[in-house]
Amino acid sequence: MNAVLIAQNTFREAIRDRVLAGMVIAGLVLLGLAQVARPLAMGEGLRLTVDLGLSSITMLGLLVVLLVGTSLVAKEIERRTIFNLLSRPLPRPVYLIGKWAGLSGALWVVSATLGLALWGVLALLGRGAYWAPIAQSVYLAGLELTVVTALAVMFSALSTPVLSSLYTLGFFLAGQWCDDLRTFAQHAPDSLRNLLEFVANVLPNLSLFNMRTLAAVGETTTALHLSLASGYALLYCGCVLALGAAAFESRDFR
Amino acid sequence: MDSRSHMEAAPDAANALAVRPEAGRSAGRSARPAAECAVRIAGLTKTYRSNWSLKTTRGLEDLNLEVQRGEVFGYLGPNGAGKTTTLKILTGLLKPTSGSAWLLGEPIEHVRSRVRLGFLPEQPYFYDYLNGVEYLEFVARLSGVAGREAVKAARHWLGRVGLGDREKLVLRKYSKGMLQRLGLAAAVVHEPELIILDEPMSGLDPFGRRDVRDLILEQRERGVTVMFSSHILPDVEMLCDRVAILLRGRLERVATVGELVDGAGARIEFRCAGAPLVELPSAWSNCLTRTQRAEETLFTLTDASQQQAVLAWLVSQRVDVRAVTPQRNTLEELFMAAAESSAIHAASERRSA
Repeated sequence: MNAVLIAQNTFREAIRDRVLAGMVIAGLVLLGLAQVARPLAMGEGLRLTVDLGLSSITMLGLLVVLLVGTSLVAKEIERRTIFNLLSRPLPRPVYLIGKWAGLSGALWVVSATLGLALWGVLALLGRGAYWAPIAQSVYLAGLELTVVTALAVMFSALSTPVLSSLYTLGFFLAGQWCDDLRTFAQHAPDSLRNLLEFVANVLPNLSLFNMRTLAAVGETTTALHLSLASGYALLYCGCVLALGAAAFESRDFR
Repeated sequence: MDSRSHMEAAPDAANALAVRPEAGRSAGRSARPAAECAVRIAGLTKTYRSNWSLKTTRGLEDLNLEVQRGEVFGYLGPNGAGKTTTLKILTGLLKPTSGSAWLLGEPIEHVRSRVRLGFLPEQPYFYDYLNGVEYLEFVARLSGVAGREAVKAARHWLGRVGLGDREKLVLRKYSKGMLQRLGLAAAVVHEPELIILDEPMSGLDPFGRRDVRDLILEQRERGVTVMFSSHILPDVEMLCDRVAILLRGRLERVATVGELVDGAGARIEFRCAGAPLVELPSAWSNCLTRTQRAEETLFTLTDASQQQAVLAWLVSQRVDVRAVTPQRNTLEELFMAAAESSAIHAASERRSA
């Protein structure tokens, strides 16, 4: 119950923050720019619109995570607002889960808003039938942002906002090439293979959440892919938050 | 009180608060079950270690203390004495290095020890994007008050601390005093059985301080236990059933205010007109001092048994005695003297080490 309260409050904080409104406006502006640039795309205007629209959800979402998520807990410690919360019957892991759920919820709302805007533009272009690939892509982008938010909250609970941003960005970038790293590991010498495979397993496999190429041509993915991605996101978030909670549990607030 | 008479009073005061480790120990190592006390602390120690130099500093040393249910308990000490460390350990914000503590019978390691607890941190900070009602409703619900009741309680307590006409004002527009009042409301909005306040008078004007005093007394009448730290000793003297004095991380004394003040020994002041040309008898050189003021002379006697003899001597010297007034040491004087005594003791320990 208290996790829901913390999540509601974090959601309210994010919604009242100008960063989130800025993200929506920037997404809409990018969609508008894509329409301006469409005639120059040599017949690939539709592809450009879908690709840019979906990429902007992930990139702007990442920006919000880096600006807001990585200081989510650290800011509360620095401003000492956390004293008023943890001196109540609120277990520390529940507090972390609430923070993660609240920001993730806000990112889901913004992702859905931008996804709807993208679908609206496509409908105006006579491609209303693209709703299914757009919905699937937005769903996967939401999952990806949820995973990155979990990392940001974990780092925020243990480090300063600047370092948390760097770690989160590092994990995000490395996570995009997780499959490549795994392939590379198979061709690496034995001594290096185990290490690379371990790193590939620890990093979030974010390429699992990318179906922009399919969506750009109006194709959908399988239910199995969506289920696997959902399960993976839940499991990864669970592990990351458990690690964060274990370290946060013994932390002193001076 | 002038500086000379203060110097005379200091030894008495220091004796009253002399280092008595056994007093502190017996305060916590009784056979009384933890459930009977509002707060029970046994052997609490906190050591801080610097991440860079690995140097350790002792914040709290083997603290043993009991606060009984329903009492108002003052927790005194100069800056760095370990007051805030103690209160933060009790409220789960710091982890003790060793020792145990219980709140209303529940060990502090369990979050359920904080269900019936209200806490006001020193210089409280709040979410500045919320308004007063939103914030109080939020914290009331965190402490287990159901939705509609939480809104009702939030409105009631916001009004009770004098902020009822600013329900919709966001907290970023609150003044320091208003934030302190909101913090107090947040500490009591869920009607706890134990309230811990860290410097509740800090940042408040005289009206604010009076309101806090009234609130503490009101809570005591409800049977709530209040434990608070403060630097404003007249308030402590006025409110507390008992006080604990902490110096350099160690408990120096636990006693009622009356015990402390009465135990320090009284003094008697003889106010006399003008500047009489008399020489103090050598027999009273240890207990009688003379202070010259603008239009009067003050003789201060620290041995009450000599009162009649001194008065008779003054009259015999044709001194115009205008008033004979018994004086009590204030808690502030006692506290200052004990702090000075402890500092001297620490310095001598360092020298001998």
